[in-house]
Amino acid sequence: MRRKAATLLIPGPRVGRSRGQSAFADFDWVLLLLVLTIAGLGLANLYSATYSTAHSAKFSQQVVWMSLGTLSYFAFSMIDYRNLHRWTWVAHVLVVLAILAVRFFFEAVKGSQRWIMLGPIRVQPTELAKLAVILTLARLLHDWDEYTIDRRTVIFSIGALVLPVLLVAWQPDLGSASLLGLIILSVSLMLVQTIWPIIVAMLTGLAAMPLLWERMHAYQQGRVLAFLDPGADPTGAAWQTSQSVKAIGSGQISGKGFMEATQNHFNFLPEHWTDFPFSVWAEEWGFLGSVGMLMAFLFLVLWIVNVGIRAQGKFGQAICLGVAAMIFFHTVVNILMVTGWAPVVGVPLPLISYGGSSVLTIMTGLGLVSSVSKRRREI
Amino acid sequence: MSLIGGPKKNSQHLALFRERLRYLMAIVFVAFAILVARLWSLQVTRGEEYYRQTRRNVVDARMLPSVRGKILDRNLESIADNRPAFNLYGKAGDVDEEAFERIARVLELTADESASMQARIEKAHKRKRRSSVLLLEDQSRDRASMVKQESHLLGELEVRDEPYRHYPHGRALAHLVGYMNQITGAEFDEREAEGYVSTDLIGRYGLERSWESYLRGKRGVERFVVNAKGERIEGPDTDALIEGARFVPPVAGHNVILTIDLALQEHIEKLLRRRAAGAVAVIEVETGKILALASTPSFDPNIMTGHLTRAREAQMLSDPRKPFIDKTLRQYYPPGSTYKFVTALAALKESLVSAEEPLSCTGVHKQGRRVFRCTSAHQKVNLEEAIQHSCNVYFWKLSERVGIDSMAQIALSFGFGEPTGLGLNGDAAGRVPTKQWYEERDTFKIGHTLNAATGQGDVEVSVLQLAMAYAAIANGRRLFVPLLVDRVESASGDVVVQYEPQLRRMVDVSDTSLDLIKHGMWRVVNEAGGTAYEYARSQMLEYAGKTGTAQVKSMRRRDDDENLKDWHPDRDHAWFAGYAPAEKPEIAFVVLLEHGGSGGKHAGPVGQAIVEAYFEGRPPVDDDSKDLP
Repeated sequence: MRRKAATLLIPGPRVGRSRGQSAFADFDWVLLLLVLTIAGLGLANLYSATYSTAHSAKFSQQVVWMSLGTLSYFAFSMIDYRNLHRWTWVAHVLVVLAILAVRFFFEAVKGSQRWIMLGPIRVQPTELAKLAVILTLARLLHDWDEYTIDRRTVIFSIGALVLPVLLVAWQPDLGSASLLGLIILSVSLMLVQTIWPIIVAMLTGLAAMPLLWERMHAYQQGRVLAFLDPGADPTGAAWQTSQSVKAIGSGQISGKGFMEATQNHFNFLPEHWTDFPFSVWAEEWGFLGSVGMLMAFLFLVLWIVNVGIRAQGKFGQAICLGVAAMIFFHTVVNILMVTGWAPVVGVPLPLISYGGSSVLTIMTGLGLVSSVSKRRREI
Repeated sequence: MSLIGGPKKNSQHLALFRERLRYLMAIVFVAFAILVARLWSLQVTRGEEYYRQTRRNVVDARMLPSVRGKILDRNLESIADNRPAFNLYGKAGDVDEEAFERIARVLELTADESASMQARIEKAHKRKRRSSVLLLEDQSRDRASMVKQESHLLGELEVRDEPYRHYPHGRALAHLVGYMNQITGAEFDEREAEGYVSTDLIGRYGLERSWESYLRGKRGVERFVVNAKGERIEGPDTDALIEGARFVPPVAGHNVILTIDLALQEHIEKLLRRRAAGAVAVIEVETGKILALASTPSFDPNIMTGHLTRAREAQMLSDPRKPFIDKTLRQYYPPGSTYKFVTALAALKESLVSAEEPLSCTGVHKQGRRVFRCTSAHQKVNLEEAIQHSCNVYFWKLSERVGIDSMAQIALSFGFGEPTGLGLNGDAAGRVPTKQWYEERDTFKIGHTLNAATGQGDVEVSVLQLAMAYAAIANGRRLFVPLLVDRVESASGDVVVQYEPQLRRMVDVSDTSLDLIKHGMWRVVNEAGGTAYEYARSQMLEYAGKTGTAQVKSMRRRDDDENLKDWHPDRDHAWFAGYAPAEKPEIAFVVLLEHGGSGGKHAGPVGQAIVEAYFEGRPPVDDDSKDLP
């Protein structure tokens, strides 16, 4: 039987210098600084990437998204994240419905249904799904820890968690589906007491890969094949990657300088604002700049994990680990993708890639981390 | 129960968490280390190569064709020139299947043209799909203007006006001038460093080939910046991307001025065209300059350059008259009686005969069991008369006195048996047989000497060799290297190289002996009974010559030759060689009609026409007979 989670709403013991006198008491300034730094780099890079092209409007749009994202960041850092515990299912159900709506009511773009059109605004529910899944997972882990739960509830919860992953894969958006899976797996591996069932599930999943291949769309198979043998199709999918690799390599040690990326300015880089902004960055700032950006991401991920360690209880820990995993996998997969070591699966680089849904999702997630950080334990 | 859980449970839980955290950290660090390593390999290790590739991506170059030098005759009349041609260019990336079909339909391309365009597109796809490449070569004005007007239908194509090789006089001098066609893959690999591109035409034969380096000039280049679609981008910041000069103007090739007199050449070719196959050489005796050098059948270099269809090429290659073989240089023939002066000079040199000594001719000459027949029974003839009547018996008897090796010595001295030194079209050495030569192969017999005495058997000469030898007879023993190119001039008219007459040697015979020969040759043409008197005597001037009727070794008419009515591969070769005027000679000439019949009767009139044409305007040749195919 489930017990009422009344205790959840009682704020935990506060530790630290200030005790709630101001909204910015115990505020995590380091996290904010990191986030704003990366967001700033992203905006500058997007400006260079779209300047004097047909996509120059994307810069000002991104500024708007960034501003909204920052607002969301502050809003969620002010809210006590523990209050979200009771809203997780609501968020989850809404997201699942949104994904279904995309599937059934909106037109496909490039063979895949990913967008909800609200007038001029296009929302990508898969991005929001990442946040919903993190919250649901956090609640599940928390509830497991705190309450005795019967088997039916466990199966139902896992089912609820896997459902959006399957729906996203069905869109089809294999990149996002895999990322969702990776987030769930990594958080679970960190926080579940006994991990062997998860490992069994992973191995089963790997074994099912050939079956998945059968079900894949031609363009998806094409991308994977192009990745495995780039020489076979120099005009299509592999051409994108080879141009991206050239762009990155041509940056050499110190880069060509801001706004000097020829690969980008002469349109050799496809989708340079969504999938390939790192190529622009690497071309303009070289090895030093690329490693600098990587270090910023590494530091961000480590900082979030650090916040997670000190979070009070599994709900906060799971949120932090989930957001850290989200940023970590997005970063790694995106950079492997643009450097030619992973197939082009449409995974954006957090805060660097253009895209409102992605920016809002990441900023909100980071806001949650900030909220956790504010209410951390002192070790 | 609080959110933190019981202290015990919580610390247990934290311990587990921390343990797993180590793995987490390891994975995170390894992942970032891999990314850094990947970036290092791309940006530092291979960075320079990628940098060059991105430069190549955005910088495209358009080749500016150079104007190839002209080939001119001695009066600066163009033999090889350039004309504007419309070439259609396009980007392989633009011409997809739909566009290809549309272009083929609108321009009404033939199957051949479609196939060649398809091949060019496929080739370009592999290398540079976003730069313009040549798709259709040398198109008609109609097609060019259609491309310009119907841009909504043919927007993928671009017309470029580029100079194209043109031979205004068609077949005239085709063998010497040669032709051009597309550079082969192997040649391109070898000569890429010289600035060739894979679509270049290259001199394939004749002067076009041997003088390629002078004629070619230097291509110019215009470099510009393009975007991924291949569209040209102009802007202040684009110049910095271009390495090297933005614009290098093309340098025109040098003009090559020949010693040829084109009017005479064309006149001779008209005369020859009425014969199935033959060759003529006309030499300026005082310099060794070639005035005319004709070989028929021939080919039209305009057809050969660029677009010979397979069917036409196969037809030309199967022609038994070998239109591609230059019969003045490459092919050698038994010279027949035109060679008799060699026998006479050998005998005179060794004082084995005097000018007056008469030898009797009964019409046959027995040598062992073999019987050699003369053209008729000449009775008693001396040297000059023997030349005049072309009495074989006289020369057979002389040859028995001098032997084959002494004759060979004189022949070699006149330049037979080795290339003339023109250095064009595989200038043949021919053959002057000696006793040793026969012994190396089989046994030497006196019959070989008799054959050599009358230019038969194994003696073989080229038309040009014979002409140079007759020029040496005419000019008093001076054997020249034939001169075909007078000078090379730059496009602006400055002389780059001037070629001077080159004396090969003084032939080792006495002037008195030579005068005997010359007088004999005068009698051939100008005295009744001379072998050319009846057919080739000129009312205009006195000139000298020697006829020859060379028997052909076991040649059989092949079944597939029958479509050529005037082609008789079993007939004799008709020769007429000489010089004019008889006093103070200016030109030496040789006429060979392959399987043409009798020297005097058939070759004689051609020689006469050439001499008269040279010395007095050019009387019209009745051109009613059609050219043979």
